[in-house]
Amino acid sequence: MAILEVQAVEKSFGGIRAVDRCSLSVEPQSITGLIGPNGAGKSTLFNLIAGLYRPDGGEIWFADRRIDGLPPYAIVQLGLTKTWQIPHELKKLTVLENLVLAAKGHHGDHFVNLFLHPFLVREDEKRLRKQAQSILALTQLEALAHDEAASLSGGQKKLLELARALMTDPAIVLLDEPVAGVNPTLASGLMDLIEQLRKQGRTFFLIEHDMNVVMKRCDTVIVMHQGRKIAEGPPETVRKDPVVIDSYLGG
Amino acid sequence: MAIDTGILTNVALFASFSIVYAVLAIGFNLQWGYTGLFNAGIAGFFLIGAYTAAIITTPPDPPTVLGGVVIVPGHWGGLSWPFVVGASFAMIFSGLAAALIAIPTLRLRADYLAIATLAFAEIIRRVTINFDTFTGGTNGITRIPRLITYEPPDPFAGGMVLLGVGALVLLAVFLLLHFTLESPWGRVLRAIREDEVATMALGKNTLLSKIQAFALGGAIMGLAGALFIETKSYLDPQDFAPALATFPIWVMVIVGGAANNRGVIIGAFLIYGMEYVSVLLKDYVASNAIYYVRLMIIGALLIILIIYRPQGLLPERRRVLK
Repeated sequence: MAILEVQAVEKSFGGIRAVDRCSLSVEPQSITGLIGPNGAGKSTLFNLIAGLYRPDGGEIWFADRRIDGLPPYAIVQLGLTKTWQIPHELKKLTVLENLVLAAKGHHGDHFVNLFLHPFLVREDEKRLRKQAQSILALTQLEALAHDEAASLSGGQKKLLELARALMTDPAIVLLDEPVAGVNPTLASGLMDLIEQLRKQGRTFFLIEHDMNVVMKRCDTVIVMHQGRKIAEGPPETVRKDPVVIDSYLGG
Repeated sequence: MAIDTGILTNVALFASFSIVYAVLAIGFNLQWGYTGLFNAGIAGFFLIGAYTAAIITTPPDPPTVLGGVVIVPGHWGGLSWPFVVGASFAMIFSGLAAALIAIPTLRLRADYLAIATLAFAEIIRRVTINFDTFTGGTNGITRIPRLITYEPPDPFAGGMVLLGVGALVLLAVFLLLHFTLESPWGRVLRAIREDEVATMALGKNTLLSKIQAFALGGAIMGLAGALFIETKSYLDPQDFAPALATFPIWVMVIVGGAANNRGVIIGAFLIYGMEYVSVLLKDYVASNAIYYVRLMIIGALLIILIIYRPQGLLPERRRVLK
């Protein structure tokens, strides 16, 4: 049973069909790669799944619930979080604040709770700061906890994207080019972490152009071209698929 | 020892005006400095608060009719209720107005929000001027009761009461906002200011938070309006022109330091203080040029500050979470 199921989803911008009756599914506890040439509709598809765009047609199901049409925050609260290709760090907030902000189910996020449940708010804050610190340790950002997010390097911002997504306690994380622009050592550390988290039960669905990463780390690869899925399978099969070679990998 | 109560009364009145503008500026700082919502209709929410409080606290004021013609329109209300009731309703009505404006416009991009609120404030002011059976029109509202009535009138005691109540109101607003803004809820607001879409994609209902912040800011502006009428002998709709009650507030927040309420209070005293100084100097200068000189100084100050210290006198501080 798939954890994420995209059924005949469509999205046009003006005259351009970015996503064209695209159907695909992601298995639970997998690392599924999404590849394809620039403009294939991968990022648009991620934005549709995360609720940032509304599809023109089709359905999106996550853990047996239909999620298309839900607002983005509701989708995150159900357990699906997306990270950004270009980091969207909250610049003037510290790294630690970026994480605690992202925490799921914080009583203090709601105005009335500040007055009605001040103790719950304080308890949550204490607990979630601790949790954030441990995630920072996991992503090797703990030394930067109190720095403004704006001061991080490009690679560190990528780590922050993942760390912040983990604070939302997601069942599935959509990673938009998690290691693009990250140096090889850090990139392989980041992918090791993703594999470790997968073993703990999380699912990862990632867009990536680095074929070494895709071939080495993904269980399944889905190939998109012109808004549609054109191939799917284990990396070694997809790599030899003539349609994929023709449209994306090249000879 | 004799105290020159005249000067002290003047200073108290100046400080009370500054407090009114400081409360307005704090309300705007919540919306813009913390949440990133640029409200260009501050004067409108200020007006709603002032008129609500005036209509509730003043004695009845029926129209004056001479030979079948209405000479002075009077105004509605005239309930003679205490200041606390007037101020509470001022907050409720201004807060509600802000929420009603927020719901359709906060879905828009920031620049559209500014245009929509600017138009709203101007419409409210025009309606106030023209709907004279309700508001007294250009005649304004007179006979506003003082916080404590002295018989015979004692300007010094009255000034001190006003200053004391004003200081308490400012302190209460400051503490309330410190409590709410340095909370997780306030963190969501700052996150929205930095990047709303990213905040949404981290599971936060940003539209709800924006409406709450805008409405609370509006309510604070309404409270400033209620306090404002206590500093005035009569309420004049021209006091709510954007040049008097919107633009200077922006300057106070920019000068003082956006997202820093201490700085904003300093900014309010500084900018309003210039007005006070220009009024003092007017007696010594043979023309009213001083008024325009003040505006030029404020303009120059603003430009210098934006170039050399865009974060304001007291910048936003970094929060170190223990």
